[in-house]
Amino acid sequence: MSLKTWALRKSLWVYHVNTGACNNCDIEVLELLTPRYDIERFGMVLVGSPRHADVLAVTGVCTRQAMPRLQEVYMQTPKPCVVLAIGSCAGAQGIFAEAYHMGMPVDQAIRAVDPNAIIAYVPGCSPKPEAMISAAVKAMELIKTL
Amino acid sequence: METPLVIILFIVAAVATLALGLVFRWVDRKVTAMVQWRVGPPIYQPLADVIKLMGKESMVPVTARGTGFLAAPVVALAATAVAAAILWMAIFQPQHTFVGDLIVVVYLLVVPALMTILGASASGNPHAAVGASREMKLLLSYELPMLMVILVAVAKTGWSFQLGSIIHAQAGSSVAWSISGALALVVAILCMQAKLGQVPFDLAEAECEIMSGVYVEYSGPQLAYWLMTRAMLLALMPLLLVVVFWGGLRPGWGVLLFLLKYVVLVALVTLIRNTNPRLRIDQTMKFFWFFLTPLGVLALLLALAGL
Amino acid sequence: MTVAASKTQVPLSGLVGEILARLGDLVVEVHQCTHRRGIARIDPLRTIEAAERMLGMDGSRLATATGIEVRDGIDILYHWAFEPAGLVVTLKALAPRPGFEIASVANSVPAANWIEREMHDLLGVEFVGHPDMRRLILDDSWPKDLHPLRKDFDQILDRPPLPPNQTPPDVVGEGGGQK
Repeated sequence: MSLKTWALRKSLWVYHVNTGACNNCDIEVLELLTPRYDIERFGMVLVGSPRHADVLAVTGVCTRQAMPRLQEVYMQTPKPCVVLAIGSCAGAQGIFAEAYHMGMPVDQAIRAVDPNAIIAYVPGCSPKPEAMISAAVKAMELIKTL
Repeated sequence: METPLVIILFIVAAVATLALGLVFRWVDRKVTAMVQWRVGPPIYQPLADVIKLMGKESMVPVTARGTGFLAAPVVALAATAVAAAILWMAIFQPQHTFVGDLIVVVYLLVVPALMTILGASASGNPHAAVGASREMKLLLSYELPMLMVILVAVAKTGWSFQLGSIIHAQAGSSVAWSISGALALVVAILCMQAKLGQVPFDLAEAECEIMSGVYVEYSGPQLAYWLMTRAMLLALMPLLLVVVFWGGLRPGWGVLLFLLKYVVLVALVTLIRNTNPRLRIDQTMKFFWFFLTPLGVLALLLALAGL
Repeated sequence: MTVAASKTQVPLSGLVGEILARLGDLVVEVHQCTHRRGIARIDPLRTIEAAERMLGMDGSRLATATGIEVRDGIDILYHWAFEPAGLVVTLKALAPRPGFEIASVANSVPAANWIEREMHDLLGVEFVGHPDMRRLILDDSWPKDLHPLRKDFDQILDRPPLPPNQTPPDVVGEGGGQK
């Protein structure tokens, strides 16, 4: 495992994108920073700009309005990057799949601009923070194979 | 000194300052985590951050002016490295300093802030523009008291602008052991807090823990240079304070005392950071102009009066 | 809430009754007048006058406005809340088919501005005299005359095509050059 991959695994910076969520998943994402779960011990911090990010934590169904903006944010994230689709809404639009204002699901929207995107799904509504940490760890394992 | 030796010493000083700065960044994050009842990151965390950033894609936005955008972090890093070399030379070999090197060091330590403003303005992003304007106001605020208290130290050590003579004149008792010197040290610590971009004065990069605002469009290696510059500043500013106010490095037991003073100043940065909220720009400017600058003037008057 | 049978007037009583009485001949029919809740249908041609009169009453506030598609058109319901007493009085006005036109109260009641824009977007109600009828809720790529909350709109089959995907930059390694 090269130095670059080691450094990427040890220092993942997360940028949180809300594409139309009910905010439950957002609360769980923010809970990761609290003393109980503390992802900073893995080197993960929440950053304020997609240009600083290695992980895009996407919550919410991707609405028509959010879809081009999510694609724009993904393109602004320097590669290599991992997308975490958090919650059943981000996975497959959940119970809202038949509503009139849905865009493509998050993974289809991102694969439309980058067919080789790495996307990890965290199921749940809303997923527990432990599930998100487990997904982040699995994403780190995926990065080892890059 | 011969040129190859100078180059080698310069590289050694820069790399050592970078390593020391990264360790101090870790100390800062670890102490913050412990204050918040968390387990913090491991000791190699800032190093991993820098290496990771060097390996990422570098992006220049379409709206940015490429020249200023890309040149700013490099110039900032270079200026900090040269200041590091001069300061460490003053610590270890005071006889090799030159007249006016105090002014050179102070000037070089202003360059990172100027480059921040340049890089942020060249980003073409409204967040960065707001950050740049705040950084400008901050620069106007804290430089004045800083220079005044450095003048206090210069006044008390015989009016020489050479770091070597300043250290030499403190062989008996350092500047900080007089009333004006103690006042000057307190003012300098608060100005150092602002220069390092730490809470309560970090509004140029508010909104987020590591970087946003001025650095919002930077990615990849350029962001790594900014991180390295900030780490080196964290190692250099307390060093400057120890040299100018607190006697520098003396042989024998003085080595231990020097290390203690150095670590105490770094710990003060973290302590002030963890116990204070962030101030607004108008509160910051009022604090520096109407509270610290009069204190600096008072310290200067006391120094001139001999106290 | 019970809808009164054809044209039978519910007797007015209590605080709600006083409020409805003050509206006078604007009220066409009273559907409910209980201790804290009143529902009445008003003349759709005099909505602005009704809104100004309600606004002039002590402690009143336009809480919200809703639109319901019924057989004859779209019913606009204005929910007026009277805070200290804890009453809600709802005034109904019908915007008839096929044009769904009704006078806008936004010039007298600023609170109704965005509510009317939302109803125009989602239901297609034409508010005559609205100062700023722009799109509020639907996104920019949504076609103009398609109203998703109408009864004849199928949520899946009538969906308009999605906005175009953002194009990735064609050349990588030119120093970036991305937006």
